[in-house]
Amino acid sequence: MLFPLHFVLHIGFGLGRSAPDLLTIALLLVAREVGLRGASVAGLLFGVVEDSLTVLAFGANSVTMTVIGVLGAFTRDLFVGDSKLFMLSYFFAGKWMRDFLHWMIMGQELRQPFVDQVLAQGLLAALYAALVGMGLVILMDLVRGR
Amino acid sequence: MGPYAPEPERTGRNREIRFAFAIVLMSVGLFHLPQNTQQRIALSVQATVLRPFIATQELFADARVRSSQIQVLLSDLDSLTAVTSTQSALIDENRTLRDLLGLVERVGPSYLSASVLRPRTAGSESMFIVDVGYDDGVRTGAPVVGPHGLLGQIRDVQPGIAVGIDWTHPDFRASAMLADGEAFGIVENVRGVFREQDQLMLNGTAYNEPVSEGMLVVTSGLGGVFPRGIPIGRIEGIAEEQGSWRKSYWLQPNVHPGSATHVLVAVINAPGDVADMWLDPLETGDEDVGRGSES
Repeated sequence: MLFPLHFVLHIGFGLGRSAPDLLTIALLLVAREVGLRGASVAGLLFGVVEDSLTVLAFGANSVTMTVIGVLGAFTRDLFVGDSKLFMLSYFFAGKWMRDFLHWMIMGQELRQPFVDQVLAQGLLAALYAALVGMGLVILMDLVRGR
Repeated sequence: MGPYAPEPERTGRNREIRFAFAIVLMSVGLFHLPQNTQQRIALSVQATVLRPFIATQELFADARVRSSQIQVLLSDLDSLTAVTSTQSALIDENRTLRDLLGLVERVGPSYLSASVLRPRTAGSESMFIVDVGYDDGVRTGAPVVGPHGLLGQIRDVQPGIAVGIDWTHPDFRASAMLADGEAFGIVENVRGVFREQDQLMLNGTAYNEPVSEGMLVVTSGLGGVFPRGIPIGRIEGIAEEQGSWRKSYWLQPNVHPGSATHVLVAVINAPGDVADMWLDPLETGDEDVGRGSES
């Protein structure tokens, strides 16, 4: 659901940054559910699809999303349970780390200043993703009848 | 069971870690693939997985144009010209389309009109998609122009769709000359700290060539990439001097990529000299050309 919705909002409606990064949220959710193998494959696939729209740094999203998927899957071993506070922090850290890794990988000539892209825009985007992710988790809990 | 038998759980976990590591390596490999291979992968994904979303964007773009046309008709019917005069965006779009229509009449069938779509994803700021493709006669390397000059170049072509780069792309280069043919050089993109600060530079001109502020720079046709005579921008000032043998100049671009919504794309066998197709904005009295309607 989140995968097509992400591209409908970003490409179909052309909303750009005003739409949340549902792809990263989906990957973080998947990583908690399917384990290391599934998370890494999902990260690679998500990254390749996003890279197909990137002429400047093809592969940067693939590496970033794969690493985020793997790290997300590792959190299952490190943090047991899915309290609201943990999930909020998880989405926030996951999204910020995704932006940070992408900034590092995409190459010096292409990226904007660290303070602007990673600290200012990155933290805002991470907060946005964390809130949307939390909303989705609550919605999923309601649907599952928890 | 012997005392040194392997623990099945740990073995399984190790396999998972090795598998994930292999996938990470695979993703790093993607990053280092040759550009042609990367483009082939990107085109395949665009043509399959992303096709519905790109089509959706085209639908919305068409709907936006249609709705704006209906607004104009309603405004005319109700004689609310005052309302339309305040809609500067609509007026700009109409002016762009009218200019393009004029240009289409001059260039004939060798250039196709197209709508510009922007992916708006991270890292795709300098690329655009046009709704004409291989079936229409568009080929890789075809110039993309607006009513006031050069916007960019087509990079990849598929049936019905093509992907291009505008002049803010780091790979953008155009062999150029002054409109009077006195000085030649290469126009290239110089990236600013922020995207809004990206600039065009005319590089490699001879030191003693008389180049003054405001002179029009057009494509020279050398190298056969762009046809001769497409306006690129106007000289804005000296960027740098090297010894007493070379100078570079900043250019004020004629076309601002962010606001280009409708363009013309050259088709196969387009003429190699198009200098007569663009009217000099100063001669026609439209001094605001390239700024008023594009920005």
